[in-house]
Amino acid sequence: MVENLAFMDIFGIWVRAFFILAIFSFLYKDNAVYKFAEHVFAGLSAGYYVGLIWQTVIIQQLVNPMFDEGDWVLVFPGILGILMFARLIPKWSWVSRVSLAFVIGNTAGIYLIQSLHGMIFKQIYPMMDSLDFGAGFDRILLVLIVIVGVISTLIYFYFSKEHTGLMGVTAKVGIWFIMIAFGAHFGYTVMGRISLLIGRAEFLYYEWGGSLIHLF
Amino acid sequence: MKFWDRVANIDRRWIYLMVAAAVFFPMIVVMKFPVELTPETRQLFNAIDSLPDSSVVMLTFDYYPSAMAETRPMSEAALRHMFSKNMKVVTLSNIPLGGPTIAESVTRAIAKEYGKVYGVDYVNLGYRANYVAVMHGLASSIESIFKSDFTGTSLKDLPLMDHVKNYRDIKFIFVVADNATIDYWISIVNAQYGVPVGGGVTAVVAPKMYAFVEARQLTGLLGGMKGAAEYEKMVKIAGSATRGMDSQSLVHLLIIFFVIVGNISFFITRRKDKGSA
Repeated sequence: MVENLAFMDIFGIWVRAFFILAIFSFLYKDNAVYKFAEHVFAGLSAGYYVGLIWQTVIIQQLVNPMFDEGDWVLVFPGILGILMFARLIPKWSWVSRVSLAFVIGNTAGIYLIQSLHGMIFKQIYPMMDSLDFGAGFDRILLVLIVIVGVISTLIYFYFSKEHTGLMGVTAKVGIWFIMIAFGAHFGYTVMGRISLLIGRAEFLYYEWGGSLIHLF
Repeated sequence: MKFWDRVANIDRRWIYLMVAAAVFFPMIVVMKFPVELTPETRQLFNAIDSLPDSSVVMLTFDYYPSAMAETRPMSEAALRHMFSKNMKVVTLSNIPLGGPTIAESVTRAIAKEYGKVYGVDYVNLGYRANYVAVMHGLASSIESIFKSDFTGTSLKDLPLMDHVKNYRDIKFIFVVADNATIDYWISIVNAQYGVPVGGGVTAVVAPKMYAFVEARQLTGLLGGMKGAAEYEKMVKIAGSATRGMDSQSLVHLLIIFFVIVGNISFFITRRKDKGSA
């Protein structure tokens, strides 16, 4: 049993190594091995998600509460869910709008409160508190930079009026803030992508390399 | 001039090869670049460190396997920190693809090192669909959302869950995420229910999070592999993030070199093109 397990562990490591190298082979040029790995990944993910949604949504959140716990009010969301499939029949596709209207209305209501109380107010209050002169010059300067940055960036994305005069100058200031923000994001994104590469390289070096030593 | 023309038109595959060499080189020759601590990491560490022993904390595994290089070391270091202070840990995942399995394997392995008992010292709740509903639901009753743990054991049979009923019983939530679920932990759980939330996120997500740290909506932040390495340093373990930072630093130096050389070649070849026009 232990031998079988050890063999399966090594087999798993080799399968993973094959798919990693197959995906990386695209860096040399597009090829059949890369395409095979890509299709296997897409197929597996789709299959996994179908099973997952069936188990965690349909069974866990609809069927079990209704039949095991008698929570029959769930019939209504169940019907709304079934109505979504009306999109598959062109003549009846309009029926799915009932479900979509409920989802959109519900989502908008939840997210509006969440954004206002969780994001907008929570961000504005501490910033306004910092405008206290007792907070020190550097703090006030930082807050003023944030205020200028937010307003000028918003004006850059306001397209209902031509960007000329004061509006044009403010939009140009906004571009600078956007570029600085993009620069910071880009730097972090490079770091993130390299980290992912390091993760795969560590797997190839330590685990796959280790399994090679184990085999020979 | 011929040299700069060749540099400007270099086959990108040579660059990939040099990046690969820079990644693998520190694995063969240990370099030990210094890892400086940032205030955000200290803040997160201190927030957990200052909790009383045996406090109940929540650790989330909201990440896909693809982001494990950055996030797994954070989870491991956090668990080591929490278990070393005898905290009770409740884990869950809002990511269906891999999250619950990673939570299970990582938590079991670290718990074994510290001799912690499942159900008494830690519980893995697993995954439930629709994270917004999950986060709201946990506020009233954990049992209404998670009727059983990851293995299907009823919460009633787990002694730890006898006195952990909702957010009021949880002193701190450490969110390790590679996506927007952390936004919801902040805007729902912290803002609406007042639970302190700390974050460990991938580098791609990190820049957005600094505004939340600044507004004290997030108690500390770990950004990417660098953040994970910093936390490992605070916890005094040399994990995979610390090891990976050698490769990370070397590749960053290489990228800086490429950027400088690329710009020089651009300006020299442009001047030449203008001169010949």
